Amino acid sequence: MKQKKLLMLIAVVLVVVLCVSVLTACKKDDGPTGGGNGGNTDKPAGSVNNDFKVGGQVIIGSSTELSGDFRWPGYGGSSAGAADQDISRLTVGYSTMESDQYGQYVWNNTAVKSHSEREIEHADGTKTFEVTIEINSGLKMSGGTEIKSDNYLAYLLAMSTPVAKKAFGSANVGQSFVGYDEFNAYDGTNASETATKEFAGLRRLSDYKFSMEINSDYYPYYYADTYGAVSPYDINLVLGGAEIKDDGNGAYLSEDWYEVNVDKENNPVAGDFVKAAHLEQSRYDYYTYEYTGPYTVDRWNATSKEAILKINENFTGNFEGQKPHIEKVIYRKVVEETQIAQLKSGEIDILEGLTGGDSVNAALQLTKGENAGFKEVHYDRAGYGKIQFDCDFSPAMFAEVRQAIAYCFDREDFANTFCGGFGTVVNGPYSVNFAAYIANEDLFDETLKTYSVSTAAAKKALQDAGWIYNADGSAYNDAVGGIRYKKLTAAEATETNINYKAVSVTNSNLPDKTKDYKTVKVGDDYYMPCVINWFCSENNPVSDLLTTKLLNAGNLAAAGIGMTKTEGTFTKLLGEIYRRASYGYGGTPTYSMFNLATGWNSALYDYAYNWIDNSNKTMYDTFFAYSSNKLSDPYDAAFSWWNEENQGLTYDEAVKKSGGKLGMNYISFAMVYSTPTGDTEEYNKWFAAYMLRWNELLPDIPLYGNIYYDCYNAKILNFKATPFFGAANAILYCAVADAQ
Amino acid sequence: MARYIAKRLLYILLVFILISFLMYLIYNAIPFDRARWLADEQKEAYKYDPEGLEQLYQEKRTELGLDKNIVERYLMWLGVMPLNGKYNGMLQGNFGVSYTNIQQPVVEVLKEPMKNTIFINVFATVLALGITIPLGILCAVKKGTKLDTGVQVGSIIGYSMPTFITAILFIFIFAISFGWFPVSGQETPGSTLTGAARFFDRLYYMALPLIVMTFCSLGGMTRYVRASMIEALSMDCIRTARAKGLKERTVIFSHAWRNALIPIVTLVIGWFLGIFSGSIMIENIFGLNGMGRMYIISLNNNDFDVVLTLQMFYVIIGLVGNLVIDLIYGLVDPRIRINK
Repeated sequence: MKQKKLLMLIAVVLVVVLCVSVLTACKKDDGPTGGGNGGNTDKPAGSVNNDFKVGGQVIIGSSTELSGDFRWPGYGGSSAGAADQDISRLTVGYSTMESDQYGQYVWNNTAVKSHSEREIEHADGTKTFEVTIEINSGLKMSGGTEIKSDNYLAYLLAMSTPVAKKAFGSANVGQSFVGYDEFNAYDGTNASETATKEFAGLRRLSDYKFSMEINSDYYPYYYADTYGAVSPYDINLVLGGAEIKDDGNGAYLSEDWYEVNVDKENNPVAGDFVKAAHLEQSRYDYYTYEYTGPYTVDRWNATSKEAILKINENFTGNFEGQKPHIEKVIYRKVVEETQIAQLKSGEIDILEGLTGGDSVNAALQLTKGENAGFKEVHYDRAGYGKIQFDCDFSPAMFAEVRQAIAYCFDREDFANTFCGGFGTVVNGPYSVNFAAYIANEDLFDETLKTYSVSTAAAKKALQDAGWIYNADGSAYNDAVGGIRYKKLTAAEATETNINYKAVSVTNSNLPDKTKDYKTVKVGDDYYMPCVINWFCSENNPVSDLLTTKLLNAGNLAAAGIGMTKTEGTFTKLLGEIYRRASYGYGGTPTYSMFNLATGWNSALYDYAYNWIDNSNKTMYDTFFAYSSNKLSDPYDAAFSWWNEENQGLTYDEAVKKSGGKLGMNYISFAMVYSTPTGDTEEYNKWFAAYMLRWNELLPDIPLYGNIYYDCYNAKILNFKATPFFGAANAILYCAVADAQ
Repeated sequence: MARYIAKRLLYILLVFILISFLMYLIYNAIPFDRARWLADEQKEAYKYDPEGLEQLYQEKRTELGLDKNIVERYLMWLGVMPLNGKYNGMLQGNFGVSYTNIQQPVVEVLKEPMKNTIFINVFATVLALGITIPLGILCAVKKGTKLDTGVQVGSIIGYSMPTFITAILFIFIFAISFGWFPVSGQETPGSTLTGAARFFDRLYYMALPLIVMTFCSLGGMTRYVRASMIEALSMDCIRTARAKGLKERTVIFSHAWRNALIPIVTLVIGWFLGIFSGSIMIENIFGLNGMGRMYIISLNNNDFDVVLTLQMFYVIIGLVGNLVIDLIYGLVDPRIRINK
């Protein structure tokens, strides 16, 4: 009886909890209201508007956490935190060149009065490139101090000296300028031919004029017109009292910059620079030094990891002359599970980069109705999720195998499922926002292969490439099925390949769970199984979907391709890709397929160094570690970029000379090193050739390109973000309705 | 008593050395080379100079002492052997460097999360004990009544429900639907409050996580106190006390509760020691910058100096906590007092 009562009580409690949940869910949605109608202007959202009144505050929600590294985000490391970079964007201004809404670098006429560029030809046949910039007078930092040439030169000089190396382990900021090696070697005491106190390639010509000379390692270069991009900083922030001088041989730093500490016996300690401690300290000093950007860091709350930015009233505008009109901008981290609720409750005003069906639909729900308190803007992400192959060993080294895998699943369906209907599929390593893509769009639509799902096409690709054997060397019979094998040629029978094997049979689509799938020797020949070892990161929804749609879907097995799945940390995944022991790589290439995502912060992208050309051993060894796919295009061996006679050709000349067989390495180098700066027509030809060749060799299989949604409170006027112009940029153009 | 404590402290020292060496060995067995990692961070700068990169790697190995054997490295880490001519280990207050986001001394990295964790845990512990102990006693005294049954059902739900479900449910009800509390965060965004005003603002933001933490911990302790009290109330001495005509209040709190306290004291002290440990689930869902999150982030980033420091800290807390528990046993129960 008691038990029955107890059960009834439990049932009642559960029902009550359920009812409360349902009733509260049905409660009328009273989201914050705002008068946002796009602003008191007829101009399209995101246009320059300096008629707004200053006031109000906006809270930007970020999915990544701030670390407090706002002055020089990521300096001394391999990468910078996205959130820290946003704060830097808002607090550093008057750069000579700035990235516009389309990801292109444009001259900032608010800061730059004039600029000139010239190519200098030297007696040894090399060329250097000089950019001379005169800045406008009267530009002021947040504290009222005028910005002069020194503010632009300070960072370039300081971060090229051993002092910066001591502080941050890196001093390579000026490495593209003439005289860097000598200036970098100078420690204040060792002046010689190989170590000079002057930085020959940097000149302080007057209080408002300076020049930079790019060395011949970095010129000619298609993007040379961006070499003029330099940002100003408070001199005291960087130099801590040292001065910049120029006697005609190059800018240099005063002697006190190189002062060293002394030991107990009062002897100077070589390399123990006093100013290194200054750099370490000033990097995280938010309040002592002035800011050059539209906002200043008013408070950094280390407890809640939140930055509060205050308007810089001295800021006179960005490259378009746009000034800030929001009094206070707060930047804080959001929790993915509750971010929409935070937006709805007014705890944040902007959520950027929403993706996936659930999040986007929830955000769109907030924007519905005439009096909706929220608005949205969406754009194609400049990046995509992909399968990435290592192309130097295993079956994945054969383009036909990679193509066969692409034929084995429906990428459209994959993208739709993963992005919840808010995604697209791309057919190459481009952003649909790239100008070169847009210029070639029709050509790509006609010629890029989409690899529509087809087991027959997969089988044919494999047959053509010689995957026509069984493990014992007998002919493969489609009717019987099983895993295909290929007889390796002498060149293909590398040590890695003859020892190649499936890492696991349990987590795989391999038909015989008791068999060891590995390269076998039959007579004098080696036969490699068509088994791909796939490594993916843990708790990754893309991996889960790939398991369903590719690994276990049946098409792979039907085509005769085996696949094993291994999960691990993302660090381990990077370790396997970059073959870095420090990231857990074991020393033997094991996995040749990975899934991850890639993206671009700018529309200016240099595809060179992504490929390895095994026709030149030195270059191969040097750049192997920089190549994410480790792909050697056979065309490169026949027509190599490293043959100087082949360099400097136009696209048409190169096509003619190579017989129409241009390899990935050649194209990627020629695209930026043979194309004259500013010749977009020529660049677009190389770009198209690159995409077509890439699409054929398929070192990656693009899986999905998200459509990003930024959802914001309607009180924010004139908000317009783009893939290259995030909320931290777009907020400059905005105002708060309540303050108008 | 002093001798006993001295002996226990000596044990603590020995156990600490043993555990610290084992932990150091384990983390050094993980295939992760910090020197290589640091050198690789500069890979782009050394793109045209692979030899320079290798030289940098060797410099980093020397700088970190990785060119020494494991025992030497352990002794340097402890601070009883010099690293590059300088004693600079744990004993000198150097707990290493954190490499997550920005390179900072471990102590700096742990300062804020530790403060936050203690702030929330102190309240959660006091609140939970303040509710569970009286509730457990009440349920034991009113055993079998509707109140007891109701509390048993409620506590089993709280006990069984995963923390993240409770957290999401409470956020949905109290933050989204009723709007009584903020969804996430630690203080009002952009707040410039100071002193008491800031304290109460933080408390307001901590309220919902506190409620969730308390709710989730009610079940276990309430049932434990109840069981302990029921056992104590059935003892002969209680019957004797009642037979003597003592007031029921005196019987419960002076006689039964004192006897029930012995097993409970271990848990209660454990809870107080636990104020230094964060809750990964709660911190992640409510966006709190606490120890649980820090711990998991450090593990994911191979930030072993942080992880080792934390583990050593928890080892010391655990060892000292056991000593405290043993000493408090003596206070609670004179029968097992050391200097009796």
